Amino acid sequence: MNRPEIDRFSTVSSSFLSRAITPDRLITGVAFAFFLAILVFFLLYPVVDICRLSFLKEGKLTFENYVAYFSSPRIFRSFTNSIYVSIVTMIITTVTAFFFAYGLTRTTIPGKGIFYTISTLPLIAPTIIQALALILLFGRNGLITRYLLGTDWNIYGATGIIIGECLYCFPNALFILYTTLSAVDTRMDEAAQSLGASALKTFYKVTLPSAKYGIASAAALTFNLTITDFGIPVVIGGNYSVLATEIVSQVFGLQRFDLGATISVILLVPSIGAFAINYYLTRKSYALISGQARPFLQPSRPLKKWGFTLYCGLICLSILIVFATVFLGSFVKTWPYDFSLTLKHFDFPSLGAHAPLWTNFWTSVLPESTFRTMISYKYAPIWTSLLVSIVVAIAGASLTLLAGYIIEKKKPKGEQVLYTLSVLPAAIPGVVMGLGYVLAFNKPYFFIYGTIWIIIINIVICNFTLGVLTSIANLKQIDKSVEEAAVSLGAGPISTFTRVVFPLSRVAFFSTATFFFMRAMTTISAVIFLISATIKLAAIEIIFLDVDGRTASANAMCTVVVAIVIGALLVMRLVTGRSALGGMVSSR
Amino acid sequence: MSRNLRLENLTKRYGTLTAVDRVNLEIEEGEFICFLGPSGCGKTTVLRMITGFETVTEGKVLFNGKVINHLIPQKREFGIVFQSYALFPNMTVEENIAFGLRMRKMNTQAIAKRVDQMLDLVGLRDWRKLFPAQLSGGQQQRVALVRALAPDPQVLLLDEPLSALDAKIRVRLRAEVKRLQQELKKTMIYVTHDQEEALSIADRVVVMEKGQFRQVGKPIDIYKCPSSDFVADFVGTSNFFKGLRTDDRVKTEQWEFTVAQAGSSYREKVVLAIRPEKIEVFRPGEPTPHLVLSNLIPGRIDVVTFLGAAVRLVVNMDGEEVISDVIEKVFEQRGFKQGDDILLYFPPESFLVYPEGEGMA
Repeated sequence: MNRPEIDRFSTVSSSFLSRAITPDRLITGVAFAFFLAILVFFLLYPVVDICRLSFLKEGKLTFENYVAYFSSPRIFRSFTNSIYVSIVTMIITTVTAFFFAYGLTRTTIPGKGIFYTISTLPLIAPTIIQALALILLFGRNGLITRYLLGTDWNIYGATGIIIGECLYCFPNALFILYTTLSAVDTRMDEAAQSLGASALKTFYKVTLPSAKYGIASAAALTFNLTITDFGIPVVIGGNYSVLATEIVSQVFGLQRFDLGATISVILLVPSIGAFAINYYLTRKSYALISGQARPFLQPSRPLKKWGFTLYCGLICLSILIVFATVFLGSFVKTWPYDFSLTLKHFDFPSLGAHAPLWTNFWTSVLPESTFRTMISYKYAPIWTSLLVSIVVAIAGASLTLLAGYIIEKKKPKGEQVLYTLSVLPAAIPGVVMGLGYVLAFNKPYFFIYGTIWIIIINIVICNFTLGVLTSIANLKQIDKSVEEAAVSLGAGPISTFTRVVFPLSRVAFFSTATFFFMRAMTTISAVIFLISATIKLAAIEIIFLDVDGRTASANAMCTVVVAIVIGALLVMRLVTGRSALGGMVSSR
Repeated sequence: MSRNLRLENLTKRYGTLTAVDRVNLEIEEGEFICFLGPSGCGKTTVLRMITGFETVTEGKVLFNGKVINHLIPQKREFGIVFQSYALFPNMTVEENIAFGLRMRKMNTQAIAKRVDQMLDLVGLRDWRKLFPAQLSGGQQQRVALVRALAPDPQVLLLDEPLSALDAKIRVRLRAEVKRLQQELKKTMIYVTHDQEEALSIADRVVVMEKGQFRQVGKPIDIYKCPSSDFVADFVGTSNFFKGLRTDDRVKTEQWEFTVAQAGSSYREKVVLAIRPEKIEVFRPGEPTPHLVLSNLIPGRIDVVTFLGAAVRLVVNMDGEEVISDVIEKVFEQRGFKQGDDILLYFPPESFLVYPEGEGMA
């Protein structure tokens, strides 16, 4: 056989690279140190700063702040309120989501795909959308309360918060329960029934116990999401204060940073606890998942089938009503009295924000007109949000892919530390992170404070967890020998990553990017501390517009945000040829 | 000087567990070596230390007389074929094969030529534009094979390359690997737990157990003269008897055999091994001339299994199960069937005698 001309390294005469500095180890080490540094600086440091502030007064250790908190009944109420709201939401959401998941996985109801898609909708909007819709329907000037029933009752307070949170947490709980129920082998149910157990008995003795970890983990997640949420209670809570809103009002209203920090620490305890339980149980529940093929579902009896269809339909209907109400609310003249259509609410009041980049850009493209003023000045928060979201999507997806790669494939010494730090952000409430950033970085020498970069960093760090977990789940599916094959064929660490690992992670990358984009467009709690007079974000403007009494404009802003997110989802679908939301959900 | 590969006292420890224990071997250029052993015996670990994916705890890997312990894998120029194929799913067949050539910065024309050559080698020219997922397991492993061969590696290492395939394809691909090896005269190191595969394919077989090399030799020698009862058991099938040897007599619990390998007059604990095909079978009353009568033992046929050319009899000899293989023709002529009483004859020269060790099955 003809030996082709191959440029040979002279294997043996080439240097004996010492153990410590192979290019692979060098790159891994540098990347590892980089991630460790970012997470310590932008995650741990702010949280530690909050703890420091809550325990220290003039350099001395003190519990004064805690005493102040617990001895002031008015403030302390926020704690019991939070716990109450979170527990009620947890119970309602877990139960309703469980039966919804049961309907989708264990019965032969029609339209499962549509039900599933509709149930994920709350993820694409800021949490406030639930509150806005509830106010439009059941508020002081609510369509149903005032217009149809003519009653003075309204939904402000605990009831509103609970219903809003239930709607918002529903898809999150559903993912876990759906995965659990579709993973548990239905043949166990069949075996039980063949042994003479009634359908109801089978449900209690087999189905329910086999899903217990999933149920508990969904409950813990719901608790965590509710107790940390800020958007819904601030809009619909009225005088009913919860921990998250109390932190913001202490800081913004009373300039009491020390009390804000103290409440933050108090909020950290249940939220980290719930997150830890959820995390632990999710692992446990997924360990039970068998890869076995599931047999064909027996057709459900008509009563069961139509009962579940009706049930799922009603839940989807209420989710759709939320969206429809807010959309409609942004296009009608005066809700609920004058339903003639108008676009005037989209001409947002000028709130003084401008983003020079956008302003200059639109001013140069558009002819002088009121439309130009609207687009280049009044829409500034939207453009800023869009820019932030695009940067967050790219940076977040890249960084988490790389961090996941280091953790899962390179396993350097101390990999566990990096993993723990990467998973931690999901446990820390956004409001706490936001306050932590103010305390830690509001210093003259910290030059990126007050720019959009601190906002971008904050959003990336706050959502690091899901990105890294998605990345790890995806990388686990890539056989180690595929990488070794590349290396044995002469590829260095960088070519191995760019030519083999990255192409195989493309789908996960795009779905993570979509997730980061959605979060950046819709997040409120952390960034509310980081915006400034000149840098504003669309999701936060919704709150300010609402607080200002410009409810219709708040609805319009919300509609714009949702429209942008839907647009991004469609683009991602075109790029990857599959639903990005689906990819994210399945890897969760 | 030939490009040979040498292992010197090569050792791998994970904490207190010793996976590979001071092994030594010299592999000549163009040789086909097979590492054979049960799972967990350390054979893959030896291979991975040769490739550089596993660090060496102690000892040396030498290539052309130079230590390459710390040379990173991509500089070793050893081709590797993996059990899981490890094809790049995002690349077509030809892109997979070209990958190693691209990494070596060959020019486009040379790459195209080499890829054609490789595709012809395994007859996959028509499949070049397909993706791995569109190929059968056997085709995928062929692609993996020529992908590893394309950059003309100094040594080709194959880690259980055929275990994921079904039996028929395994045998066919085995022959193909052997043909390629002879054609290309490439040094190949092949890891397998399948003794039939190892015996049929290799120039030399290395039998491994518990991280050590138990026997290194030509397949025929390993089969005929296993160096220990472990090898006799692992390679092929053997019947074993434990007993005490005095001179040329071995006393077991029930019988006293005469063996050709005589020992001292001192009673020593031994293990006797005999291959099923060495045992002769007679009907009771049949004339048995020139036989050593102590080695002729009655039994009853419990199970008859057709293996094809031979028939395997499981014989109950006073409670002890003995396996005997009879040529199918002989089996026909004698008309043996399940339940028949027979006489088994153990020729003294066919007994292999080992000092009693721990490894006996």
